[in-house]
Amino acid sequence: MASADYSLNELFAILLARDLRPEDRTVQVGANMPMARAAAVMASLTELPDLRVILGLGVNNLGDGSPAPLVHPFVFDPRSQVGEALMVQETAFADARQPDVFFVGGLQVDRRGNINLFGIPDGSGGWKLRGPGGVALATMSTNCRGYYIVMPNHDARTFVERVAAVSALGDRDERERLKLPGGGVRFVLSPLGVFDFDQSGDMRIRSLHPGVTTAQVQEATGFLLATTEDPPVTATPTPEELHILRTQVDPDGTLAA
Amino acid sequence: MRRASVLVGLDEALAAIGDGATVGVGGAVTSAHPMALVRELARRRVRGLTLVAPTGGIDVDILIAAGCVETLVTCYVGIEGVAAVGPVYRRAVQDGSVRVRDLDEAHCIAGLRAAAQKLPFLPWRGGVGTSYPELNEDLVPFTDPVAGEEVLAVPALNLDFALLYAETADEFGNAQPLGTGNMDLLLGQAAEQVIVQVDRVVANHEIRRAPEHTWYWRDARVVRAPFGTHPYSNAWMVADVEHLQGFAAAARDGGEPLDEYLRDHVDAADHDSYLEQVGIRRLASLLV
Repeated sequence: MASADYSLNELFAILLARDLRPEDRTVQVGANMPMARAAAVMASLTELPDLRVILGLGVNNLGDGSPAPLVHPFVFDPRSQVGEALMVQETAFADARQPDVFFVGGLQVDRRGNINLFGIPDGSGGWKLRGPGGVALATMSTNCRGYYIVMPNHDARTFVERVAAVSALGDRDERERLKLPGGGVRFVLSPLGVFDFDQSGDMRIRSLHPGVTTAQVQEATGFLLATTEDPPVTATPTPEELHILRTQVDPDGTLAA
Repeated sequence: MRRASVLVGLDEALAAIGDGATVGVGGAVTSAHPMALVRELARRRVRGLTLVAPTGGIDVDILIAAGCVETLVTCYVGIEGVAAVGPVYRRAVQDGSVRVRDLDEAHCIAGLRAAAQKLPFLPWRGGVGTSYPELNEDLVPFTDPVAGEEVLAVPALNLDFALLYAETADEFGNAQPLGTGNMDLLLGQAAEQVIVQVDRVVANHEIRRAPEHTWYWRDARVVRAPFGTHPYSNAWMVADVEHLQGFAAAARDGGEPLDEYLRDHVDAADHDSYLEQVGIRRLASLLV
């Protein structure tokens, strides 16, 4: 993806914002994901004024014209308690109907849409590489209407046949067998394209970012992608979308950097 | 007879925590960690702790660096915006010197609630089909007897002590946090004894002005430690990012830089010495 017109994170923010839906009433954004945060704020400023956006400790609604929260940093301090309600960790999981949507990154994603945030186990009870921990991904991915996976890198070490440990179960067959109530993965974003899952639950190319070829993506992926012959090109940000993003959502240019 | 004060000094408050205890630490991400209590615990070089830190940060890193921790129960250890993974924690888990028992945040809540309610376990669905039961053998998958669905039994997380923070308390153990509270009320309910660090000790009649904000536990001690969440935030103070960056650099290096941090900031004679070390200009700049 080479373009001087917008950054990768700006593209991510706009693709995520476009996909949010009127039935998504509450969206939660976790740490270290300014592009997801921008997407939720952008959607709430445009198509979805009823959206409640949970950022850090605050619950925000921008439909009444209140100022948009900053895209970055993600702080758990007095400055984040600016919403119309507060997010309390102890009761956050007491209402499994909320949030409808959240966003995840991961050390690895696999062919079936499973995500790993734990790290790489050494096979004898220890760790070759230890990640931060699973936070609340297992619970959120079980119950939410849908979630988005945002991968900042696309290579054979991050897009793998099978994740080394499963933090969030994406595999559609397994989810069905276990009767998980949530809707599962909506799509996966990477620097090369947008990916979703075919009838059998295997990852496929939904679109490729401008200038990216199928061969290039396959080369960078640790398993055989289920693919269409000529995948469409990702619809790039419009001038209007970029204008809203840069003037109302991210005036500091965090995503452009 | 007069009502007994539970106001104690840092030293006295932590004297009861011996080797091998199970200790919960409150706060979340960059806010409301009872850092003065954590530093005192680290200074005492207690050994073999099982540390329960749901969303941990440098509290976990400091206790591991001081050699206090044998087992860590956690959902996350990082320094938000500064280090994606707690450097000391990562090294200790990778070299096998600390054992980690992974829990989802909701598992933590279920386990603490089971402990609070004197139940052996509570069921939870999140984590079914994931690696959690393999990574943490305490979590037991079972078929629920009502609908025949697969769920996890999350065993009670019984704590000997909970170390918590509130902005304000009176001398009788009525605490009034001004933040969102994180999992702190529940950590206290799962513990035999609560030690709550506060910035301000106020008169009981002040507490009575807003009784809806009061937390209390069966057995609590109150410790006054102004600015004691530093370098993390409370309702009156933002996090000290520069200090956190300095810690992260020392923690990544390990060895002498980390030892030096411990000498200067943990083994300093007392909480006041720590504040002197940080400096009044820095502390004042953090107030909101």
